[in-house]
Amino acid sequence: MSGTMVSTRDRVRAAASGPSAPPPRRRGLLRARRRAGLLMVAPAVLHALIWIGIPLVAAIVLSFTSYDVLTPPRFIGLENFRDLLSDSVFRRAVLNTSIYTFFTVPVAMGISLLIALMLNTQLAGRAIFRTAIFIPQVTATIAVALVWLWIYDPRSGLANAVLSFLGLDGPAWLSSTDWAMPAVIVVGIWQGIGLKMLIYLAALQSLPTELYEAASVDGASKFRQFFSLTLPLLRPATFFVFVTSVIGAFQSFDQVYILTDGGPANSTTMMTYEIYKSAFREFRMGYACAQSLVLFALLLFLTLLNRRITGGDRATR
Amino acid sequence: MPPVETSARFRTGRIALYLTLTAISLVMIVPFVWMLLTSVKTPGDIAAVPPRLFPTEWAFGNYADALRAAPFATYARNSFVIAASHTVLNVVIASMAGYALARLRFRGSSLIFLAFVGALMIPTYTKILPEFLIVRFMPLFGGNDITGQGGTGWLDTWWALIIPGAVSPFSVFLFRQFYLDLPVELEEAARLDGLSELGIYARIMTPLVKPAFITVALLTFEGSWNNFLWPLLVTKSDSLRVIQVGLSVFRTENDTQWAFLMAGTTLATVPMVVLFLIGQRYFVQGFATAGIK
Repeated sequence: MSGTMVSTRDRVRAAASGPSAPPPRRRGLLRARRRAGLLMVAPAVLHALIWIGIPLVAAIVLSFTSYDVLTPPRFIGLENFRDLLSDSVFRRAVLNTSIYTFFTVPVAMGISLLIALMLNTQLAGRAIFRTAIFIPQVTATIAVALVWLWIYDPRSGLANAVLSFLGLDGPAWLSSTDWAMPAVIVVGIWQGIGLKMLIYLAALQSLPTELYEAASVDGASKFRQFFSLTLPLLRPATFFVFVTSVIGAFQSFDQVYILTDGGPANSTTMMTYEIYKSAFREFRMGYACAQSLVLFALLLFLTLLNRRITGGDRATR
Repeated sequence: MPPVETSARFRTGRIALYLTLTAISLVMIVPFVWMLLTSVKTPGDIAAVPPRLFPTEWAFGNYADALRAAPFATYARNSFVIAASHTVLNVVIASMAGYALARLRFRGSSLIFLAFVGALMIPTYTKILPEFLIVRFMPLFGGNDITGQGGTGWLDTWWALIIPGAVSPFSVFLFRQFYLDLPVELEEAARLDGLSELGIYARIMTPLVKPAFITVALLTFEGSWNNFLWPLLVTKSDSLRVIQVGLSVFRTENDTQWAFLMAGTTLATVPMVVLFLIGQRYFVQGFATAGIK
């Protein structure tokens, strides 16, 4: 057995030492490995080609056409993109998506980090708190939105009941152009906190304790430790949470579909909702593809920008 | 713990911490409690202003009524079949691909890996419309001819519900990360013993990444059970409707029947919460690993 080991090592060394052809057995092994690799990756690649590759190319091609499914697509050049520029509802959707993302991502990240810091202490019942905060994350947005629909009910909902208990008059949340968006944002924050908190918690628990001991010895206050140690050390986690949350927030659809249907007066319509409407209610497939490419471009831009600013995800793997 | 820390100030801090965390947890849980309690209220209790937390009369019959008003049992079964199929297909196909990309060098392997990472960045909403068209014009299915014309393709079939979601690039990515960490010696030893590459994957390496399997399986099942827009787009018939779509349709058809709606929502929610509580360790680990790596 040990003889085989030595000879294998020799062969590896021989193969690595120069351009001379490896001995036949080694070559056979390598070929078998290559063939197995291709074979094992093939189903996933085939699936990705059909359900990701072709759709991406098709979206780009169709964005230059006028297409209603029933008649063949007609090439119209950049007309869809020109129409997009003058589409005030789509502009509103871009604005709404940005507002929604701005409030559900940075705000929820701050709250999540605070909760993670609270949970990262010696605390009885930590698992119970963590579970409670995480549960909305694993629940379907549709189910969650239906419950909130009921909470926001102006007459018999929980939200206004709590407000009237405090002596306040609650608005007609989802049918008010002023309050519908905040209401949708609250649901987004509420559902998204769990995952962000969990990633921060995992990151906090992997921080080196020696650094903190050293900082304590040097007399750094907890406050100082947080800003000079914790925050910089959390940068990879922050980068990850930010990017995935922005991608998620930009693609929110389900809660708007259930809660407001984009209304009232387009005050909660999102880019995803406009894409859905153009494609499956108005059957303007080419236009919907152009809208979806704008969504893609914005996400790509934000991801690259963030990579630039935070120095990227170098440390994330 | 140093004795100074048991001071009054420390104790006040502790109490404040517990109170804050309890308040936050309540905010997270109250909607679910509200859902459960509403699902067993009578119409009278639901219409009450101000709303009552507890029902004056426990109407457990709401569940039976909800099941009569809409075939929630069928919806739930459909969701289960789809989620289970996605889980099995994803775990098998994505783990093989992840293994190959992590451990077997072959021409194009790094390009393929890069392509999978790139695929993660493509928004669902850029793919969903062309995916719908592929399903709609699937040749030789649902009355379509070889060019995909004439019929409805995969629309309103199990194919459309199961095949497009069978592998996710994210699972491939996650599996690759897990396989990367295994020691090379194991692989070499198995190879010297004459085990085939597929055998090494299936019998030596894969048993060592069981947590990865459970993680991907749970995440896939959850995503599939909670999916809404795709099944909404590709199915019409009641017999293929999934639970999330069933719920949303129920809302528009019976706007005011909150008790039924909450009963249905409970039925759609409870399986995921139970699965989460059982698999919590892996869910948490999976999400956290995905976050840190």
